[in-house]
Amino acid sequence: RYVRQLQRLQLLFSPTAADARGARQFVEEAAQDFARQHPDVVLYVSPRSGPGPAPVLRAEYLNGTVRDELIASKTSEEIVQLATKLANQSGLDIIRIRKPFHTDNPSVQGQWHPLTNKPSILTIQGPRPQPQ
Amino acid sequence: PAMAARLLLRAARPLLAGAGRGTGLGTGLGPGLGTALSTAPPPEKKRWLRAYLELQRLQAPPQRRSEKPNWDYHAEIQAFSHRVQENFSLDLLKTAFVNPCYIESEEARRRQLGLAKEAVALQLQDNAGLAERGLRFARAYLGQCFEGAYPELPAKGVEALVNFLTSQELVSYVAQNLSIQDLTLCRDFPVPPDVLQRTFLAVIGALLESSGPERTGIFVRDFFIPQLIGKDLFEIWEVVNPMGLLLEELTKRNISAPEPRITRQLGVSTVLPVYFVGLYCDKKILAEGPGETLLAAEEEAARVALRKLYGYTENRRPWDYSKPKQGLAAEKAISSN
Repeated sequence: RYVRQLQRLQLLFSPTAADARGARQFVEEAAQDFARQHPDVVLYVSPRSGPGPAPVLRAEYLNGTVRDELIASKTSEEIVQLATKLANQSGLDIIRIRKPFHTDNPSVQGQWHPLTNKPSILTIQGPRPQPQ
Repeated sequence: PAMAARLLLRAARPLLAGAGRGTGLGTGLGPGLGTALSTAPPPEKKRWLRAYLELQRLQAPPQRRSEKPNWDYHAEIQAFSHRVQENFSLDLLKTAFVNPCYIESEEARRRQLGLAKEAVALQLQDNAGLAERGLRFARAYLGQCFEGAYPELPAKGVEALVNFLTSQELVSYVAQNLSIQDLTLCRDFPVPPDVLQRTFLAVIGALLESSGPERTGIFVRDFFIPQLIGKDLFEIWEVVNPMGLLLEELTKRNISAPEPRITRQLGVSTVLPVYFVGLYCDKKILAEGPGETLLAAEEEAARVALRKLYGYTENRRPWDYSKPKQGLAAEKAISSN
């Protein structure tokens, strides 16, 4: 069955800074809807007062990866889109995929080895005739 | 100017502590910046301490998630039940996560703090009973699944498969990836695999109590059977004498004893020969297997023959996840008691 890989989202922002306005609007308007639509993700909202660092959305996944996304100067809709994107990802590292294809069953009829399609010894030599 | 500099700094500042703070603004405004960056420790005042403090942070012992900021146990447990798409009764689930070692360590801690005798005894039940029930149900259910899917497989084979699926490493691996490590209450961290196994089986037991045997059966099937994908029968089941086992199987089916013959051979006089030995019963081929020496090839041919007889070849039909088996419901109810 499908198990959402996102465990929890932590929204760390400052209640007074100018670039956290989108984050504040998100918390006021869209956070509850988001939490209701994704009941298997725990959403933590932690305002940190005073001049702090940039507002950030921290995503923790089931395999332990922690991913931070800056939400400074983003609108509320953009933050919702970002959050849904994080919710649909798995926690695997985002690196270059070497090949866009992968298969668990590379061979259906059996992999070729030098002895396929070669007649076996018995057909070459034939069974020895029993001495009469 | 200070405000402007701070805003400039915030816009230009990258996320990680170490990178890019080398601009002149960094050191002067260090103490004025207040609380930490998201991923960094408390702000160091001197730039040259940064590497040392980062090393300290990386070498610090791992901490439980419940001891880090932003943790709500009740919310996490609800999210767990939604994530697994099952309806649990929450107190059963909470009891399932309580381990005996946790209860002992808590009581010892309370006694050390000098509380009265009544306050020392915790009101928590531990998960031993639930774990045992979960284990019994899982083993019975998986045994029935395999007997239904591979009717030719003997009892020892089914037992080997079930043992593999309920073994410590597998169950603790599945539990780790379902965030059970964050939710368990245990004395040591990181949680040892046998505790993880016990907790996961207790979760299965709690599900059994809350939702009944059918849903628990579907749960067990969904999380344990995919672990068999890509695994070969004889990787899981250690068979010492495959030829003897094959002879028994053939006598059960009234087929004459197999006759081994060399089918192909390559590089006989070299260091790495390859022999293909075929097993023939009444002059009809049963199986063929390769090997380095003639004996190894014969053993491999016997294993291939056994795989064909038990229906566990690589090109068998994949597991059927479509419908829950209705006929098993009554047997499950009996077996779980």
